[in-house]
Amino acid sequence: MYQVGRSSIPKPAPRNLEDLDSVQRVLLHSDVEPEWLDSVQKNGELFYLELSEGEEESLLPETPTVNHVRFSENEIIIEEDDYKEGKKYEPKLKRFTKILKSKSLLPKRYNKKNSNDSEPVSILKHQSNQKTGVVVQQRYKDVNIYVNPKKLTVTKAKEQLKLLEVLVGIIHQTKWSWKKTGKQGSRERLVVHGLLPGGSAMKSGQILIGDVLVAVNDVDVTSENIERVLSCIPGPMQVKLTFENAYAVKKETTQPKQKKAQSNTSDLVKLIWGEEVEGIQQNILNTPHIVMYLTLQLDSEASKEEQEILYHCPISDASQKLKSVRGIFLTLCDMLENVTGTQVTSSSLLLNGKQIHVAYWKECDKLLLIGLPAEEVPLPQLRSMIKDVAQTLTFMYGSLDSAFCQVENVPRLDHFFNLFFQRALQPAKLHASASLNAQQYDASSAVLLDSLPGVRWLTLPREIKMKLDTALSDLESADFAELSEDYYDMRRLYTILGSSLFYKGYLICSHLPKDDLIDIAVYCRHHCLLPLAAKQRIGQLVIWREVFPRHHLQPSTDPNTEVFQEPEGRYFLLIVGLKHYMLCVLLEAGGCASKAIGTPGPDCIYVDQVKTTLHQLEGIDCRINERLTSSPSPCLSCADWFLTGSHEKLDSLTASPILSRLPGTSKVATSPTCRRILFGDYSLKTRKPSPSRSSGGSDNGCEGGEGVGLSPHTAPDAVQRPQRESRGSDGPEESGALLKVTKKKSALPNPFHLGNLKKDFSEKELEIYNTMKLTSGPENTLFHYVALETVQGIFITPTHEEVAQLSGSIHPQLIKNFHQCCLSIRAIFQQTLVEEKKKALDGGDHSASTNPISSLNPVKEHGVLFECSPEKWTDQRKAPPVMAYWVVGRLFLRPKLQELYVCFHDSVTEIAIEMAFKLFFGLTL
Amino acid sequence: MGEEGTAGTVHLLCLAASSGVPLFCRSSRGGAPARQQLPFSVIGSLNGVHMFGQNLEVQLSSARTEDTTVVWKSFHDSITLIVLSSEEGTSELRLERLLQVVFGAMVLLVGLEELTNIRNVERLKKELRASYRLIDSFLGDSELIGDLTQCVDCVVPPEGSLLQEALSGFAEAAGTAFGSLVVSGRVVAATESWWRLGTPEAVLLPWLVGSLPPQAARDYPVYLPHGSPTVPHRLLTLTLLPGLELCLLCGPRPPLSQLDPQLLDRWWQPVLDPLRACVPLGPRALPAGFPLHMDILGLLLLHLELKRCLFTVEPSGDQEPSPEQRRRLLRSFYTLVTATHFPPELGSPEEKVEDAAQRAQVPRACYLVSGPEEPGAGWRLVALQLGPRRLLLLLSSQSPTHGLRSLATHTLHALTPLL
Repeated sequence: MYQVGRSSIPKPAPRNLEDLDSVQRVLLHSDVEPEWLDSVQKNGELFYLELSEGEEESLLPETPTVNHVRFSENEIIIEEDDYKEGKKYEPKLKRFTKILKSKSLLPKRYNKKNSNDSEPVSILKHQSNQKTGVVVQQRYKDVNIYVNPKKLTVTKAKEQLKLLEVLVGIIHQTKWSWKKTGKQGSRERLVVHGLLPGGSAMKSGQILIGDVLVAVNDVDVTSENIERVLSCIPGPMQVKLTFENAYAVKKETTQPKQKKAQSNTSDLVKLIWGEEVEGIQQNILNTPHIVMYLTLQLDSEASKEEQEILYHCPISDASQKLKSVRGIFLTLCDMLENVTGTQVTSSSLLLNGKQIHVAYWKECDKLLLIGLPAEEVPLPQLRSMIKDVAQTLTFMYGSLDSAFCQVENVPRLDHFFNLFFQRALQPAKLHASASLNAQQYDASSAVLLDSLPGVRWLTLPREIKMKLDTALSDLESADFAELSEDYYDMRRLYTILGSSLFYKGYLICSHLPKDDLIDIAVYCRHHCLLPLAAKQRIGQLVIWREVFPRHHLQPSTDPNTEVFQEPEGRYFLLIVGLKHYMLCVLLEAGGCASKAIGTPGPDCIYVDQVKTTLHQLEGIDCRINERLTSSPSPCLSCADWFLTGSHEKLDSLTASPILSRLPGTSKVATSPTCRRILFGDYSLKTRKPSPSRSSGGSDNGCEGGEGVGLSPHTAPDAVQRPQRESRGSDGPEESGALLKVTKKKSALPNPFHLGNLKKDFSEKELEIYNTMKLTSGPENTLFHYVALETVQGIFITPTHEEVAQLSGSIHPQLIKNFHQCCLSIRAIFQQTLVEEKKKALDGGDHSASTNPISSLNPVKEHGVLFECSPEKWTDQRKAPPVMAYWVVGRLFLRPKLQELYVCFHDSVTEIAIEMAFKLFFGLTL
Repeated sequence: MGEEGTAGTVHLLCLAASSGVPLFCRSSRGGAPARQQLPFSVIGSLNGVHMFGQNLEVQLSSARTEDTTVVWKSFHDSITLIVLSSEEGTSELRLERLLQVVFGAMVLLVGLEELTNIRNVERLKKELRASYRLIDSFLGDSELIGDLTQCVDCVVPPEGSLLQEALSGFAEAAGTAFGSLVVSGRVVAATESWWRLGTPEAVLLPWLVGSLPPQAARDYPVYLPHGSPTVPHRLLTLTLLPGLELCLLCGPRPPLSQLDPQLLDRWWQPVLDPLRACVPLGPRALPAGFPLHMDILGLLLLHLELKRCLFTVEPSGDQEPSPEQRRRLLRSFYTLVTATHFPPELGSPEEKVEDAAQRAQVPRACYLVSGPEEPGAGWRLVALQLGPRRLLLLLSSQSPTHGLRSLATHTLHALTPLL
């Protein structure tokens, strides 16, 4: 199911060439079998991920010591790295193939000797040899022992003795010796049942009871031919005996489940979390966490142990405890529902002094439970996580029941939840290879952003947007040669319902209804596709699977037959990724297109067309990148710039706030954290004696604030000029000049040229300007924002690049705190929404009178003021500087449901409604 | 129960932890005590799940449904308290504190020894009946907030120093260091030693006095949950004026009879006028004529180090919403602010240090705008923390959002000399 591979074309050429080549291969020689074709499973699903060249290299030096397990058609191949000899066979290239198709949980053993022939197709051809080598080495061991047939002559005589016993010292009880079956296996395996005391086998110390002798000097042996083979030994010599490892066999047969739990560390998880995965894994295993799917309906007759557990993961000691108290969850679920008439949503318990929250999700008579430590995952987040999980699994399998109750899904679910827990417990590691700053940002924002019912949207200039729209529309219209019905004169296979395009993890264009969009986005999130795309880790990605979008499968509530009825079709999701792009297409079979029969795999033509669309868009990606690297809009400030403000304000309360900014700005420019602050103080002192200058500065500041504040106009269309430095510092001329001194290294535009620029601005651009600067007042005091638009299912928030520009010591903390605070604010808003829904359900009967004013609802705005100071403050004499900022959340119920969260400096009082208006203005898909 | 209307129900269950025998169940509905109780099977399973977990070293602490919260807590491995609340805006913090104060009340009246070492369940049940009245007052709507804030409800008398002097003198004459003046459950004045009483009893004693039926004088045995949980003390109360009681906490001496009218007259006759002025002060908390902004509908001022609070919903009493609603709003807001934003007040000292180190981002203020979309409706709430003081205000909707903080700051400055 998860196939992680490397481009099969060996090529020293740079990446671009390779891409080109693959384009050609796909487009020109489309009769050539695409490389993902082998990975398609029997049920038609495909998850093919090919890393980009650079990524591949970075993963090379890794020395895996965990077991890698690949799931293939019938068996699980376990690669034991326990053996030292095995080390030298370490896979040179990281390639995991995995087809989770095993019908039976207990894998059949298979004869190693034939493995080259019987190797499943999933293992890519050019690599299989090496791969087998690893397997051989780890599952099989060679033991050299000394045998001397001459000795036999002494003891001979007695009977038709067993050479195996006498010569080698291995006791093997053939079956018929104790069980009289007529057809004793001619090909019975030679299991070591015992070792003869003093025999060569025992002396060697490497042969264990339970091992299976498979070859002598590379000659295959069975119970039938062993005596013959051994009798051929002419004289005293070293004989190489090849044994199938008892350890491996046993594990494979008796503990397949446990094996799998471990195996989850490999493949996608490992790929995404990188090399420290073991340590992390260990950490995670020690953290109590669990997911369980329980049935509430028990067969009283079959009183099997643990029969109520339909699925659970992971298997670790820490989680065992949670599993053992499942009775609590079942009882609570049943009893509290009876008592209160509402369903249980969560409960908390203390386990080894750690608080664990358990979230409940009840569907029919089944109960899904997820338990995570409160420290890592606050309750509101957990609630939205379980909702997301239920939603995604429903999207993938149709219902929770079909996801959990089918045996063949178990490994996939293991994998799914392994990723899930990794994300929940180690969010920072997910983004390990990004810069530290972006990594922190990702980790701290995930708390909030992952729980929003929306997709991260990147606003783009109109012309780019139009190009994207056109490209997607072209694809969706599906009238290109091979897809048009005329071409083959037959009904097309699928109708394209819509598509959405992601770039570096941002949604940039979507033609999907909101519900579908969110379903797909949540699917991608759970499979960690978006961070992959963000870092160009994808060489090629093809995902195909049948999906069950709730939007289309809900039975129509409208009895009116005139309105559009959803056809009783089946739906397929096709995701194709190329470098930073990811294009998700939702296909419908049935309805206008022909009905899908069985479990159709990905259709090459559709995949190719989607790929072509992506290639068409390749030219635009530099434009999008420009947008990403350009100055943020609306512009943001860094918290550190404001830090010294308090000193200054104490000294001169009457001065405009911009004054206090000046030293702060220059300070930031100088760099590293602690020293920066001290330096800042110093520079502050030196500047103070000239009051005339600073007052002039403040005047300039106000004017200049306007003048330079305009510079972000250039942001959307022209980013050739790196304006952001000057804008970031909100640079009035004078501070700009100051900056120039301190920021010599950065390519700073001459701030004095800004005046000229100003003339060029048209009125239309001025309009944009209004939306660009969010806060009122002369300086920009906005630190961060999140705006959620629920009708379209999108939200906007500063991009990684934008945040990365604002490096500072306080700022990352601020951002982290912002997201956590927003999470609790949002939890309050959720209650309001629940109340609203209730009210709507109650209808007009007594809508006004029902709600006695006893609780805080309906809450529409909630703000918290924080104070922060630098972490390391060495100066004992002075109190550390303090910066105060607001985190404000605002909920809009009408005209449409919107949520806005902003973080801004305390110096200016902001009105959230105004900010919201500016932010949401022109925000359309 | 599911079929009931909107009014929230609170069920409080007390069980003997070892045997699972219910000791008592109290319920309230819509703020008033109710007779209706949970079925026995439900009580059994609520206790059962908790016990089951405990046997496996898993402490079940709380559970939530869409509208109900359940909190379990066991004390000294002997008493299990369970509360199940479907009141609107209820939260775990509120319920946990409720259980703490309920257990405190049980110790206060029965003694810890009796509770941890249950020999005769039937007798304990009978003894616990004495605490029903006090416990019911926690479950229902109260004018006080000490159960939630764990701070002593106070009022600010107009001539505090005079009363203070009289009280100290009288206590000394009576031979005890612990004395206080209580008006409808709120402390007007108290001796130094009284203020030093530990957390549960400092809140519980005035509350107990307020919840008892009026009597001219009482001699009431009490255990102090914090200071002396096993040895009873005597709580002497003397009604000086209707609603205004003098409380003394003492050992075996002096007998009540020794506090004769002459002694009372000597000390209290001179301050009769200030005493009279205190009587109507109860719900208002602040002296008459204290300047408060027009928009302020309710006020809660806490001093977290002294563990005292002022709580009133009297200002602009003629406007909507009603005092009960205002109290509920402020209680909900307090719970929200304490549970989510502000660090919880005064845990153990070492905990505090750790907290401070962790939190580089300290919350200072917070506000909440509630009510329907249309302007002029709804209300505003604002909280402000300054040093050891925390102020919570309920404001009418006329108050502009951006002015909330400055209004709160001004009010806090004005109130600072009082507490």
